Amino acid sequence: MDWSVVYDYRELFIRGVWNTVLLTTVAVICGTILGLFIGLGKMSDKIYLKAPAAIYVELFRGTPLFLQILLIHTAVIPGIWGLFFPEAKVPEALFSGFVALTLNAAAYIAEIFRAGIQSIDPGQMEAARSLGMTKGMAMRLITIPQAFLRMLPALGNEFIALLKDSSLLAIISTPELGYAAFNIAKNTFERFPPYLTSGAIYLVLTLFLSRVVVRGLEKRYTPK
Amino acid sequence: MKIGKKWLATLALTVGVGLLVSACGSGGQQASGGSAAPAGDSKVYVVGTDAAYPPFEKMEADKITGFDIDVIQAVADAGGFKIEVKNTGWDPLFDGIDKGNVDLGISAVTITDERKQKYDFSEPYFDANQLILLPEDTTVTKLADLKGKKIGVQSATTGEQVVKKAFGDTYEGIKGFDDTPSAVDDFFVGRVDAVVADNAVLQDYAKKVKDKKFKLIKDDSFEVEHYGIMVKKGNADLLNKINQGLKTIKENGKLKEINEKYFGQ
Repeated sequence: MDWSVVYDYRELFIRGVWNTVLLTTVAVICGTILGLFIGLGKMSDKIYLKAPAAIYVELFRGTPLFLQILLIHTAVIPGIWGLFFPEAKVPEALFSGFVALTLNAAAYIAEIFRAGIQSIDPGQMEAARSLGMTKGMAMRLITIPQAFLRMLPALGNEFIALLKDSSLLAIISTPELGYAAFNIAKNTFERFPPYLTSGAIYLVLTLFLSRVVVRGLEKRYTPK
Repeated sequence: MKIGKKWLATLALTVGVGLLVSACGSGGQQASGGSAAPAGDSKVYVVGTDAAYPPFEKMEADKITGFDIDVIQAVADAGGFKIEVKNTGWDPLFDGIDKGNVDLGISAVTITDERKQKYDFSEPYFDANQLILLPEDTTVTKLADLKGKKIGVQSATTGEQVVKKAFGDTYEGIKGFDDTPSAVDDFFVGRVDAVVADNAVLQDYAKKVKDKKFKLIKDDSFEVEHYGIMVKKGNADLLNKINQGLKTIKENGKLKEINEKYFGQ
């Protein structure tokens, strides 16, 4: 077992950490925004909002992320670019990674939003409405802020899952942390050092997410 | 409920301990298995290959075919031993030989000093060189011109090694793929600027995509590589049989015939 390969290939790890963090952060933010709308869509009484949202959730939750990544990277994105931007360069694997992770996370986050919002007593909404607020206003000012607090642990779980799942992007040679481990192992014939190193880095990242980010958010949004 | 929990805990413990024991014990088990195996010609040798490297090896429906497979079959016939070809994939091929569940590997493996430290190789059976796949209108004439560009390779192949040698082990532009076709796909999509891979593989692929425009160039700094059949270090018995078979098919023209079949114009 030769641990010096970790040092020799440190640049791959550094680049990997940066890209993993970047991918996760962007996917979390975009996925939360998209997930909120899909979650609201699923709760709508209008069938033309409800049906597409429900189908979206089932499709992305019911198929493997691995397949979604391959499909998006090798078929959907080149296809869209070929049709609409034939002059432009097809974006790299990192972009496919953003798209795949965001779309996948949005399906799960939509369900988290729906559960959170439905857990708030309907009396709150009724009270807000009787004060003259519109439905949208009541949702924005009364229901969602309360629901958000209840959703934080579930959202934290989803963020951690997303961070780990980003390692699947190694298959399309996205330069993230999983790719670093995979590539070093292939090239050096060393197995334990690269895999254990990237495992330890993932652990540090997920601990940071759960202990600092999620806990910090919970503290901040808990009413005193 | 209580019983259920206990049962679950026991199961988890059993699986955990089982995994540990098997991990620790695998070395010893293999040794005893090896000595117990019957010696002699009745043994069927397991041939490992990564059947995603046409025309050397590929899956045709559920059959593994290709140049290498024809060669190893001819070698086995000439050397008087039996083989069974398995699609192991690239990395598990090396692991399999280490662990002893694959006896020999034929998978367009270049004989390198690094690999020779871990494995024994037969006499060469094929000479290859690397080519660079480029857009038709390129001004690039050698590898060095690709500095700063994105270059697709198959991870852990000679293609990746020559790019690393030119631009450094952690060069940001290297895109390592699991197989060469994926790298070529990303080239035609436009995500990488060039692909460096074996001549035979690129030429074979080029034959298939006639509607696309590209060119293949050779860099004079690339050394000619020799493909060899790989066995576990110290397995002299099997290596002798293979070399014997190779010698026969080189002399009786069978190897040339296979060469013609795959690479003849």
